[in-house]
Amino acid sequence: MHISEGVLSPAVLAAGVILSAAGVAMGLKKMSADRMPEVAVLSSAFFIVSLIHIPVGPASVHLIMNGLVGVLLGWMAFPSILVALTLQALVFQYGGFTVLGVNTFTVAAPAVTAYYLFSCAIKRNDNSSLTALAAFCAGALGVGLAALLLVLALVTTGEVFINVAKLIAIAHLPVFIIEGAITAFCVLFLKKVKPELLN
Amino acid sequence: MHLEEFAGGNSFFHRLDPRVKFITFVPYVTAIAVMQGIKAPFVGLIISAVMILAAGIDIKKVLNRLIVINLPILILWIFLPFSYPGEGFFSIGPFTATSEGVLHALSITLKANSIVMATIAILGTSEIFSLAHALVHLRAPVKLVYLFFFFYRYISVIHNEYTCLKKTLTARSFRPATNMHTYRTYANLIGMLIVRSYERSQRIYKAMLCRGFKGTFPVMSHFSLKKSDIAFSATMALITVIIVII
Amino acid sequence: MEQGENIIEIEDLNFAYPHEKKLFNSLSFSLKKGQRVGLTGHNGSGKTTFFHLIMGLIKPLSGDIKIFGKSRKDEKDFYEVREKISLLFQDPDDQLFCPTVEEDIAFGPLNIGMSHDGARAIVKMTCEKLNLTGYEKKITLRLSGGEKRLVSLAAVIAMNPVCYLLDEPTAGLDNGATERFLRYLKDYADTYIIVTHDRELLKNAVDMVYKIDDCKIIRV
Ligand SMILES: Nc1ncnc2c1ncn2[C@@H]1O[C@H](COP(=O)(O)OP(=O)(O)OP(=O)(O)O)[C@@H](O)[C@H]1O
Ligand SMILES: [Mg+2]
Repeated sequence: MHISEGVLSPAVLAAGVILSAAGVAMGLKKMSADRMPEVAVLSSAFFIVSLIHIPVGPASVHLIMNGLVGVLLGWMAFPSILVALTLQALVFQYGGFTVLGVNTFTVAAPAVTAYYLFSCAIKRNDNSSLTALAAFCAGALGVGLAALLLVLALVTTGEVFINVAKLIAIAHLPVFIIEGAITAFCVLFLKKVKPELLN
Repeated sequence: MHLEEFAGGNSFFHRLDPRVKFITFVPYVTAIAVMQGIKAPFVGLIISAVMILAAGIDIKKVLNRLIVINLPILILWIFLPFSYPGEGFFSIGPFTATSEGVLHALSITLKANSIVMATIAILGTSEIFSLAHALVHLRAPVKLVYLFFFFYRYISVIHNEYTCLKKTLTARSFRPATNMHTYRTYANLIGMLIVRSYERSQRIYKAMLCRGFKGTFPVMSHFSLKKSDIAFSATMALITVIIVII
Repeated sequence: MEQGENIIEIEDLNFAYPHEKKLFNSLSFSLKKGQRVGLTGHNGSGKTTFFHLIMGLIKPLSGDIKIFGKSRKDEKDFYEVREKISLLFQDPDDQLFCPTVEEDIAFGPLNIGMSHDGARAIVKMTCEKLNLTGYEKKITLRLSGGEKRLVSLAAVIAMNPVCYLLDEPTAGLDNGATERFLRYLKDYADTYIIVTHDRELLKNAVDMVYKIDDCKIIRV
C-alpha cells in the first residue's frame, strides 16, 4: 500500500517526512544494539512476506502485515518499515523517495497503534480465543488505519481526489479481512511454537 | 532473488561517487515533486530521460518498470479530469472533462515518470551496499544504516527459506484458493518464516559477540571524490535551480 | 602461553534450555594448550550448545567454567575469552553479516581496537592463507555455500585466536577446499575442538576423540 510520486502536495509530503522522522528516532532509541539483528532479520522476513500473493476470488492481494510488525516490534516498527520501503523505492520504484515519509508513516503509525491497543491481550496466556480476536483486530486495524491515512493524505492534498480516495477505501475491504485472519492464525502459530517472541 | 537489476555496467553514472548521488538526487527529485504546473516536470522528464540514455542501461527493462509505475496513475486519469469544475474540454456521456483536470493528471504523470527515471539512472546504477555506505558518510544514524545492511543481507537467505517451505507445501499437494484452509496455511508458513528469522537473528547476535562486538558498530571508509563527481554536482545544482525558477 | 597449560576446565556443569529437559548433567571436560580434539555425538546431543556455553553466549544453570585459569560468570568475563578463543558457527550465513568479505573479516579486529590499516593488513594476510585473494570486495550474500564457509573461517582466523572451536567446519566444502583447510590447521593452529561426523577428518586432524553421550562428555 503506497502512493505514487508526484501526487501529493508539498505540505503533505513535508508532514510525512517530519512525522516519520520523529517515529524513526523514537524507534532507534528503543532499539538497543542487541536487538538490532532481530529487528533487521524480521524486517527481511516481512519484506519477503509482502511479496506473497494471496488469492481472493479471481484476483490476488499482497499482504502488508503491519499489525503484526507492530505487535512484535512496537516503536521499532518505524525503522523496520522505513528500511523495507526504502529498498522497495530503490529496486522496484514502488512508492518512491519523495513519498517515503508519507508512506512510512501510513504503514508504521497503524503498526504502533496496534501495538498499544492489542499487544496486552495478545500476550495473555489464559484465553486463546481472546488472543485470536485481538490478533485479528491488530491485523485488520493495521491495514484499515493505513488505508484511512492514505485517504487522508489524498483528500488533504485536494478535494479533487475524493473519488479516488473512495475507490481505495473500497478496494481495501477484502484485504482488511484477509490480513485480520492471517494475523490471527499467525499469532496462534507463534504462541504454540515460539511463545517468547510475543513477550 | 536478483534485486540490483541496473547496478552492473561501466557508464559515467555507474562510476559516480555514491555520496554525490544522494547530494544531487534529493534536491532534484524534491524540486520536481513540489513544483506546480507542467513546465517543471516536463523539463525534469527530458533531463531524466537523457540520464537514462547516458547510463547505458537496458531501455526495455526501464520501459517495463515505467509501465508498472503508470498503472496506478491510469486510475487517476479515469477520475481526475472529470473532478474539476471549469471549462469543458471534452465529454464522455454525462461526464465532462475540464482542461484543469487534464493538466493536473498530466502534471502528475510527468512528475512520477521523471522521478522514477532519475531514481533508476542515478541510484539504480550503484550497488545497494555502497549507497548505504555513502549514507554513513553523509551523517545518517549509524544504527539505522547497519539495520539496513543486515536487513538487505538476510533477504536472500529468508527468500531461500521461503521457497523451500513453499516447495514442501506444493509437494504435499497444497493449492492456494479462496478459503480458510489457504489462509491458515499461509499464516503457518509466515509464522514459520518469522520464527526462523528470529532464531537466526539470535545466532547472528551471538556471532557478533564472538567477534568482540560490544555495542558500537565499526565503519570502514573508502570513498574519494573525482573531478567528474564535482562536475556532475554542479550541473545537477544548476538544473535543479532551473526547475525551481521556471 | 605454554604448551600443556589449561585453556578450558569445566566442572560439574548443568544446563537445560528453558522449559526443556536437562541437556548436560554434571558434565566435566578440560582442554590443554596443544591438544587437538574431536567431538562427536548424535544430532541434538548438544555439541553446538556446548560451544555456546564456552563462549558465554548462553549461561549454565550451575557449574564452573574456567577459561585461562579464571572462572567466567558475567558477560564482561567473556570479553577476553572471545578475543582469544574463536568459534566457527555451524551455518556460515549466521556469521557473515557484513556487506563485503573484507568488512566481515575486519569486523572482529576492529572490535578489539585495531586500526583500519591494521585490519586491512590482516584481511590481506588471511585471504592469502586461505587462497581467497581477489574475494575482498565480493558481496558476502552472493557467495556460494562453500565460499561462505571459507570466508567465515577467514573471519575466525583473522582474530588470531589461541584456540579454535569449529562446528562442522568442512560441511559443504569440496576436496580442494577441505585440503586447504586441513593444511591451515596443521600449519597455524595447535589447539582446537572440531565437531564433525566426518571420519576422515577425525583420522587426519585430531589426536583424541570425545563424545557427548547421556548428558556427559566421554573419551572414546
Ligand atoms: N534456543 C534453543 N531453545 C530451546 N532448545 C534448543 C535451542 N537450541 C537448541 N535446542 C535444543 O537443544 C538440543 C541440542 O541442540 P544443539 O544444537 O546443541 O545440538 P547439536 O549436537 O549441535 O546437533 P546437530 O548435530 O544437529 O548440529 C536439541 O534438542 C535442540 O532442539
Ligand atoms: Mg550443531
